[in-house]
Amino acid sequence: MADFEAMAGGVIAGDFNRVAELTRQAVGEGVEPVEIIGQGLIKGMNVVGARFKAGEMYVPEVMMAARAMKAGMEIVKPLIAESDLPTAGKVIIGTVAGDLHDIGKNLVGMMMESAGMDVVNLGVDISPEKFAQAVREHKPDIVALSALLTTTMLSMKETIEVLQEEGLRGAVKVIVGGAPVTGDFAVEIGADGWAPDAASAKDLALELAGKK
Amino acid sequence: MDRYVRARYQVNQTPLFQMLSADQCGEIYLAALEILQRTGAKVYDRQSREILAKAGCWVEEELVRFPVGLTEWAVKNAPSKIVIYNREGQVAMSLQEGNTYYGPGPTNTYHRDPYTGERRKALLSDTENVGRVCDALPHIDYAMDLGTPTGVTNTLADLYAFSALVKNTRKPIVHWGFDIEQYQDILDIGVAVAGGLDKLQQKPFFCLYSEPSSPLLHSREAIAKAVFAAQNRIPIVYTPCVMLGATTPATLAGTIAMGVAESLVGIVVSQLIREGSPIIMGGVYAIMDMKTTVFSYGSPEFHILQAGIAEVARYMGIPVFGTAGCTDSHTMDGQAAGEAAMSILIAAQAGANLVHDVGYTGSGSCGSLEQLVLGDEIIGMVRRFMRGMVIDDETLALDVVDKVGPGGHFLGEDHTMKHFKSETWFPTLFNRMRYHAWKEEAKGSSMGERIKDKLHAILANHQAPALPGDVLQKIEQIIIRAEEREASKKKRR
Repeated sequence: MADFEAMAGGVIAGDFNRVAELTRQAVGEGVEPVEIIGQGLIKGMNVVGARFKAGEMYVPEVMMAARAMKAGMEIVKPLIAESDLPTAGKVIIGTVAGDLHDIGKNLVGMMMESAGMDVVNLGVDISPEKFAQAVREHKPDIVALSALLTTTMLSMKETIEVLQEEGLRGAVKVIVGGAPVTGDFAVEIGADGWAPDAASAKDLALELAGKK
Repeated sequence: MDRYVRARYQVNQTPLFQMLSADQCGEIYLAALEILQRTGAKVYDRQSREILAKAGCWVEEELVRFPVGLTEWAVKNAPSKIVIYNREGQVAMSLQEGNTYYGPGPTNTYHRDPYTGERRKALLSDTENVGRVCDALPHIDYAMDLGTPTGVTNTLADLYAFSALVKNTRKPIVHWGFDIEQYQDILDIGVAVAGGLDKLQQKPFFCLYSEPSSPLLHSREAIAKAVFAAQNRIPIVYTPCVMLGATTPATLAGTIAMGVAESLVGIVVSQLIREGSPIIMGGVYAIMDMKTTVFSYGSPEFHILQAGIAEVARYMGIPVFGTAGCTDSHTMDGQAAGEAAMSILIAAQAGANLVHDVGYTGSGSCGSLEQLVLGDEIIGMVRRFMRGMVIDDETLALDVVDKVGPGGHFLGEDHTMKHFKSETWFPTLFNRMRYHAWKEEAKGSSMGERIKDKLHAILANHQAPALPGDVLQKIEQIIIRAEEREASKKKRR
């Protein structure tokens, strides 16, 4: 009998060795991989998300928990067909053209991953064309655009326009964020949403992906 | 293995702050010695004057002049370290060079109602609240009363306040008294709590407090309290409140020299009673504001004087009573926070040991638990600042830098996990939320509102463990005895 409680506890504690061990054990006992993810790994991570939001956990602890969850996921993932993999939605995320700022966007990406979303992190200085190409390739639910600079946030508008021109805009929700970006600006450039911080961005993405 | 081997490698473990050089401290100390030999001080206690005369002082009626050698002898004999324990007999404060502890202040005429904000006379229930809040706040190291309780026999307000504090906090107490009769009552309570006089003497959990009257006057009670403390081997704070330009010269150096001279009288007497008696010099050195005549608790000169007295006391090797976390403001506002923050930081930087008056508002007239809660937060911040930084291979973290490399991040590193909580301080009241979170989750609260919320939560929920029943009974008996004594005094009058 798989000890899901211990597995979730291991995720919360960020103990990746223990999570990997418990996952391997569960797999050995013939527990359904989907169940391991749902009952153990994601369950633990949901607690982490709630605690972080309540101010009871700190960013590095969330990172450790995410790493522990990943250690378990890597063991079970090869055992299931990709179509059976439970996902809370697919996101592509990147910092827009001309902007090399990475950390905030990574934090948002990691928060989304922690919530069970499938995140493709394109990196920094991503041109509108590259975003469009990634949408064609990955078919995400959500495109998340990041900018830290007042001078680069205008590329967000351009990116949305290019998605429109290439006929991709209707298939995705576009969300924007970053220090200079406001809710008003998001409306102005025709984005579908904006969030003030990483945890709210994750909630927004879950909502827009229709999985929450 | 250290990566680097260096010769003459100096470490600043904490941020450096020094106002006076050793030579300057010495000059002030020598000036204080001269004041006592040349000008002398008035001592209104016959028994003390006899002891001083026998030790070689020149006594003319109340005026006592102190030979420099005697004063120096006393300073050398007084301990440079005084350990104060808590109610449960554990070490709570090691008053010695480099250690700074914070607590409230005594005997405010008014107390700020913790719910209505009204300035009113303090009640015994306020003293109980002060004990509980001191017990709950992590950076408040000891308790004082923050308001003389009314509604009790007024000549026993000191005793009632002490009893209320000792029942409501495990932390050490610094306490005042009208006279030595009440000090005997307080001592008896201490004995009941500690389980014997010798136990109390070995592990004192309270300090007594005595205040000479500047300039250079030592009332019978003031000096008698120093004698009482020395006879009973209980630490005492002998601390003048000097007023630059009014009771001392209008110059900072002269003010410190006079204040030191006033504490020295207590030190000499205590050492003559018993060599090695624990005594803490003080105190509150401030200006008289020449526009309003208030004794200002927030002026920049107050901070210079505080740093000065702390440095001179350290030079003398005597633990020192500091003053911080107080304000001239009558309410919880920007002035209150700014003045409190500056004095709390400077007290730590200058190395004052037993720092009091956190929670004093209105230039000392009104005790405020809100100001105390504010002070607790600021002390937390200052303590982190004073911890400075450690520099070694682990903290330089070059291997981690190399592992993460350009463009990476450190959030997921074990090194980050290991250090982030001890390297950084987390506020409980200062707001670091983003605008939207502040607006929604914190309901757009101000610092003052959050202080009130925290205070009210403590008042609603925090209770120190109760003293054993037999101890409580003894305390009751001591209070009954004191009431009978005061009643018979009234009859005689």
